[in-house]
Amino acid sequence: MTIYSRYFRNEKKMMKQTIVIGLGNPLMGDEGIGIVLIEKLEALARQGKIPKAEGIRFHEGGVGGMNLLHAIAGWKRAILIDCALMGAEPGTICRFTPQQVQSIKKLSHLSVHEVDILKVIEIAKQLDECPEQIVFFGVQPLEIIQRMELSDVLKSQIDRYVQTILNEINQPF
Amino acid sequence: MSKNISINVHHITRVEGHGNIVVNVKNGTIEQCQWQVPEAPRFFEAMVRGRRFDDIQTIVSRICGICSISHSFAAIKAVEDALGLEITEQADKLRLLLHYSEIMQSHTLHVGYLVSPDLFGEKSVVPLVSKAPEIVKKIIKIHRVANQWSELLAGRITHPITVIPGGFSMIPSEQQLKDLKKQLEEIVPDLAAVCEAVLSVADKFPAFERETEYISLKQDNPPLYALFHGDITSTDCNGDGPVPVREWERVANEYVTPQSTAKWTRWHRDAFAVGALARFNNNAELLSPLAKKVADMFGLKKGNCNPFMNSVAQLAECAFVVENAIQTIDALLSKGLKQEKVKVSPRAGRGSGCVEAPRGILFHTYEFNKNGECVAANICIPTNQNHANIQKDFEKFVPEFMHLGEDGLRHGMEMLVRAYDPCISCSTHMLNVTFVK
Repeated sequence: MTIYSRYFRNEKKMMKQTIVIGLGNPLMGDEGIGIVLIEKLEALARQGKIPKAEGIRFHEGGVGGMNLLHAIAGWKRAILIDCALMGAEPGTICRFTPQQVQSIKKLSHLSVHEVDILKVIEIAKQLDECPEQIVFFGVQPLEIIQRMELSDVLKSQIDRYVQTILNEINQPF
Repeated sequence: MSKNISINVHHITRVEGHGNIVVNVKNGTIEQCQWQVPEAPRFFEAMVRGRRFDDIQTIVSRICGICSISHSFAAIKAVEDALGLEITEQADKLRLLLHYSEIMQSHTLHVGYLVSPDLFGEKSVVPLVSKAPEIVKKIIKIHRVANQWSELLAGRITHPITVIPGGFSMIPSEQQLKDLKKQLEEIVPDLAAVCEAVLSVADKFPAFERETEYISLKQDNPPLYALFHGDITSTDCNGDGPVPVREWERVANEYVTPQSTAKWTRWHRDAFAVGALARFNNNAELLSPLAKKVADMFGLKKGNCNPFMNSVAQLAECAFVVENAIQTIDALLSKGLKQEKVKVSPRAGRGSGCVEAPRGILFHTYEFNKNGECVAANICIPTNQNHANIQKDFEKFVPEFMHLGEDGLRHGMEMLVRAYDPCISCSTHMLNVTFVK
């Protein structure tokens, strides 16, 4: 599949089952965990190591924002991988649904550059284009600093994170 | 009216910075009135040192999640300037088309999701969905087309992967460009409806003016409303001619101030503004017919000094990029698209690049050694160029609108900051949640 084949025409014909979205910024240390993991998953899919990958799209979502609204629209299931402050030990990966958490993120509402993903999901619901199932995988960061690599705590657990997400992908829903 | 006002809109998290608004009025006298930007210093300029010339755009596109295409292009142009590279007419047109998509994405986001709630009397776009569903759906449709437009040309919606020094690594097919053209033609009525909706509540834009210096690109050869090419001009230039992009540092004159960790700028005066209104004030006669119609609807004329009208100038620019993109697609298709090979050899040199990011003029400069490794970098973002101007606006706005009282004044000042479409706290975004028991 070329990078363009999904544009406008092909994606409409595609069975839109599951979209897996990695979010984050790889220039900001552990904030980039979602991007690192989506790249690993994409590589596995390219190598044919993910069964039934034809109905799955792996999507690098950058820092998300309102673009996430468009990315999840029309898919049956969305799996979002992101750095998350959850009050857990650094390196902890948690599976949760939007219903299981409350956002405590404070927005200034001064800039379009800050977005609360849980609010984007709320808008998707209001527009009736929200996936039937949304699952988050949050990874608690150790350090969010200007650095182009993950902390050792997260780096050493990448295989485990990938396997955890693969287990979810393979779950019937 | 209360003679005492205390406003302290304070937002600081661990890494992200936000703008703080601080006002203290005692017995009717303004004791403090500040726009503070305690943004954590960014070290992106240091991050690219030692990196190869063809890695630069990939890294700097992550500085911002909204203006990533602009950062990519400013960087690529600087690299090409340093390496003495020329690009083909086809590559230049495809880049222009991609750049327009980001203008469309960002302006729609700003006017639709951030400014509209103010005008319709809502706190955010979330309640606006149920209050004005039809118009929100149109905004979302336009934003969605703009996203697909970027994805077609950049390989993904943000953080382009197809744009490389010397041209493109991959280009779309002619059929895909035809499909894009059809989509663009289809959103013109939606865009007109959004303009009408904003016009219906345009009386909510505060009547506020302050004589301001406006800085933007200006393109003379061929003349075109400047978003991508050109030299630097100002409403204060008075015939002393546009300044070449390579000399941008003598325009920006960056300096530090105790109230901000972001650098501020000044040129002919102690502050200047950049962004859509600046571009309009320097280039309005070059807008397309539909864009001029949008400006006329709102009575926006060259020389306007009301910062709130920046959102209206953005709407006019949305119309311009759609119209000009359709023409650009026709020009590309008339010649036929071909995959062009790009071969680049490193060499030592220094170069600068500039584009109009959605929120204003953006400068990048890099220096490379003979192996093509970066040894120095300097980036000047539009939001930093607007900080001093926001401060000057505050100093005039507060005494003029003090009669609104604490809540009204705070809301007005927040609207004023939002009008500048600032890029603050965009490099991180992480979730912050607590589990429901």
